Amino acid sequence: MNRAILEVTDLRKHYSQRRGLVSRLTGQGRVIPAVDGVSFYLRENETVGLVGESGCGKTTIGRTVLRLTDPTSGRIVFDGRDITTLSRAELRPLRREMQMIFQDLDAGLNPKMRVLAILREALTVHDRPSDAEIAKRIHELLEQVNLKDSKLANFPSELSGGEKRRVGIARVLAVRPRLIVADEPTSALDISIQAQVVNLLRDLQKNLGLSYLFISHDLPVVELVSQKVAVMYLGRIVEMGLSEKIAHQPRHPYTGILWSSLADKQNAEVSPYTGDGATAERGRRIWGVSDFEQPVSGCRFAPRCPLYKDKGRPAICTDPASEPQLRDVGNGHVVACHFA
Amino acid sequence: MDAPVLSGVEGPLLAIENLRTYFYSRAKRAFIRSVDGVSLGVARGETLGIVGESGSGKSVTALSAAGLVTAGPGVISGRIELRTNGTGYNLLEGLEKYARVTEQDGRVMAVEKDERGWRTHSEQLMAGVRGKKIAMIFQNPRSALNPYSTIGKQLVETIRLHTNFRGRREAKERAIHWLERVRIDSPRLRFDNFPFGMSGGMCQRAMLAMALSAEPSLLIADEPTTGLDATIQSRVVDLLAELKAGTGVATILISHDISVIQRLSDRIAVMYGGTVVETGRAEEVLAPEVVVRHPYTAALLASIPNAETIRRKSYLQAIEGDVLDTIDVPRGCRFYGRCHRVTDAIRENCAGLEPPLAEVAPGHKVRCWLYAAAGKA
Repeated sequence: MNRAILEVTDLRKHYSQRRGLVSRLTGQGRVIPAVDGVSFYLRENETVGLVGESGCGKTTIGRTVLRLTDPTSGRIVFDGRDITTLSRAELRPLRREMQMIFQDLDAGLNPKMRVLAILREALTVHDRPSDAEIAKRIHELLEQVNLKDSKLANFPSELSGGEKRRVGIARVLAVRPRLIVADEPTSALDISIQAQVVNLLRDLQKNLGLSYLFISHDLPVVELVSQKVAVMYLGRIVEMGLSEKIAHQPRHPYTGILWSSLADKQNAEVSPYTGDGATAERGRRIWGVSDFEQPVSGCRFAPRCPLYKDKGRPAICTDPASEPQLRDVGNGHVVACHFA
Repeated sequence: MDAPVLSGVEGPLLAIENLRTYFYSRAKRAFIRSVDGVSLGVARGETLGIVGESGSGKSVTALSAAGLVTAGPGVISGRIELRTNGTGYNLLEGLEKYARVTEQDGRVMAVEKDERGWRTHSEQLMAGVRGKKIAMIFQNPRSALNPYSTIGKQLVETIRLHTNFRGRREAKERAIHWLERVRIDSPRLRFDNFPFGMSGGMCQRAMLAMALSAEPSLLIADEPTTGLDATIQSRVVDLLAELKAGTGVATILISHDISVIQRLSDRIAVMYGGTVVETGRAEEVLAPEVVVRHPYTAALLASIPNAETIRRKSYLQAIEGDVLDTIDVPRGCRFYGRCHRVTDAIRENCAGLEPPLAEVAPGHKVRCWLYAAAGKA
C-alpha cells in the first residue's frame, strides 16, 4: 500500500464577514465556517474525489491544503512534513511539488504571452536550465499533454478551450509536481473535450505517479477517476469511502440524494410531483440549498434530510451537543449520521 | 406595425427555414458562420431539444428566432414563421431588402447589411411577438432579472402588458398564482423579494414564472439547468416536465446536458458547426440500441461516462480533435476531420461535399454520406 502524501487533520477555515456599523463597532462579525473540521488523507499515486454542492467548501479545502490560503486551525502534512505554519520562504521549494489546476481555463495563462513563453517561464521559475534543456523539456511537455508544436507560437486567445486546458496542465507539469489539486478541471469544457482531458489526467497519473485531489461536481467523472470519494456538506465531510461504495451503497442520506438527483434527471417516471403528497413534499423540501446563513444545531443536514422527517424528527438530530461525527462503518468507509 | 399575417396556418407552430446567422470577426477578417442553413420545426405542445457543444449554433438559432441577435451582421437570410391563434407571422418579413448577400458556389462571400434599418424593422416585427408569443429563459437568471426591482413588480409588469389581467390587484393575484406554480415557497413573501435575496434555483424559477405568465405559445429555454447544483438541477427538470404537461406550451430546450434533453424532449436536433446533423424523435436519436445515427451523435453519447465505463474504470471514448471553428468551415462534411467512420467508398464525398440531411426512417434525418444513399432510395 502506498504511503500518504497528504494528511489533513481537523482543518478549519473560517471567513469573517463584517457588515454594518454596529458589528464593526462591537467587533462581532458573522463568521462563515467554509471548512469546519475536515480530516482526510491522500496516498501516493491515488485520487481522492471531493464532491458537494456549490458553497460547501470544496475549493477552500483545495486552496488551503496547498497553503494558497491560510487555515484557521488544523494540521496539513505534506509528504511527512507539517506545512501548516511554514513561512512563504519555507514553502517556496515545496511549491513545485504541489500544484493546482484551476477551473478557469485562462487562469495562469498570461494573455500577452505566447504558449512558448508561458511554458518557458514555468520551467525557469525554480531552476536555471540551459536553453537546450528548456527546448527538450518543452517538447516533452507538449508530448505529455498531446499538443502540437505549432501551438507554441499562439497566444492563449487563439487557443480552443481544450488546448488552453492542455497548456494549463503542461504548465503545471513543468515543475514536476507530485500532488495536483484539480479544481473542476473539466467543467468549463465541452463534452467531447471533457473525455479527452479526463483520459489525459489518468494517463499522466499512470506515467508520472501523480496524486490528485479531484474536486468536481460532475459525479460520474469523479466516480470514474477516484479511488476514494469524500462528500462534503456545509464545510464538513459527511461521508467518505471507496468511490463505488459511495456511488452505489451510500450510507449518508445526503450522498443518496446527490447521486439519485443524477438519475432523477434522466428518469421521466420518478417525478416527486406526480406521486402522492408525501413525495411531493419531499421534492419541495429538497429545493433548499446548503447555506451558512442559518445557525447550525446538531446535524447540519437535518433541515433538508428525508431520513430526519421519516424518523419523526428525532431530537438527537438537532441536539446542539451531538453533531454527528464520522464513524467507521467498515473497510475505512466513514459516515457522519446518527442512523447510518 | 405588427408582424404581417400570412395565409395558410397549417403546419408547425414555428418553422425555421434555411436560417443563416453570421457574425464578423474583425481580428480574423472573416465571417463566423454561427448558424449556417438551419431548418427546424416545432409543433404545438412539443418540446424540441437542441443538443450541441459550444459554438455549434444552438443558442444563436434560438436568439435569431426571438429577434435578439444584435451584433452585426447577424441574421442574413432565411425564413422564420410563427403560427399562432390561426394566424401566421413571418418574423423576417421584408427584412431581406436590408441585406445583400453575395454568394459563390453556394458559400457566402460578402454581406452588405443596413444593420440599423434591419434592427428598426425587426423590432417592429417582434413588438407583439417577443415576450408575448415567444418567451425565453436564460442560463443565468440573475442577469435576466432586474436587480433594482422586486420579483413581484417584474411579474406584474409582464402580466399587465401581455395578458388580460390588466388591473393591479388581479395582476398581483395572477403573479402569486404563477409563483406558486413554479413551486416557490411562501409566494406572498417572495413577491416582495429582490433577485439578490434569492438563490440561483429560485431566480431560475422566478424567471420561468415570468416567461410563462405571458401565456406564450413558445418557450425558449436556453441552458435552464446549467450552473445550478445537481440537486437543484433535477428539481428544475421536474418542474419543467410538470409545467410542460400542465400548460402545453411548445418549448425549444437548449442544453449540452444530454440527460436533461433526454428527459424533456419529444424531438431532438443535434447541431454541429452551425448545422443540424441529426434530427428525429427523442427515443430514436438517443436510444442506446439504435445503430443508424450520425457519427457525431454516436461519439458524443459514447464520450459520456456510463455505468459500464465507470465499473471497469476504462478509458472514455473521447472524440479526437477540437470542436469545429465556424470561421474556417470545411467544404465537405463539417465532422470529417474528427470522424472515425469514414470509409473509402465515401471519403471523396466527405472531404469535398456537404452531405444532405437524408431521411433514414420516417421523421429521422441524418446528415452523413453513410446514409445519404439510403435517403435517396
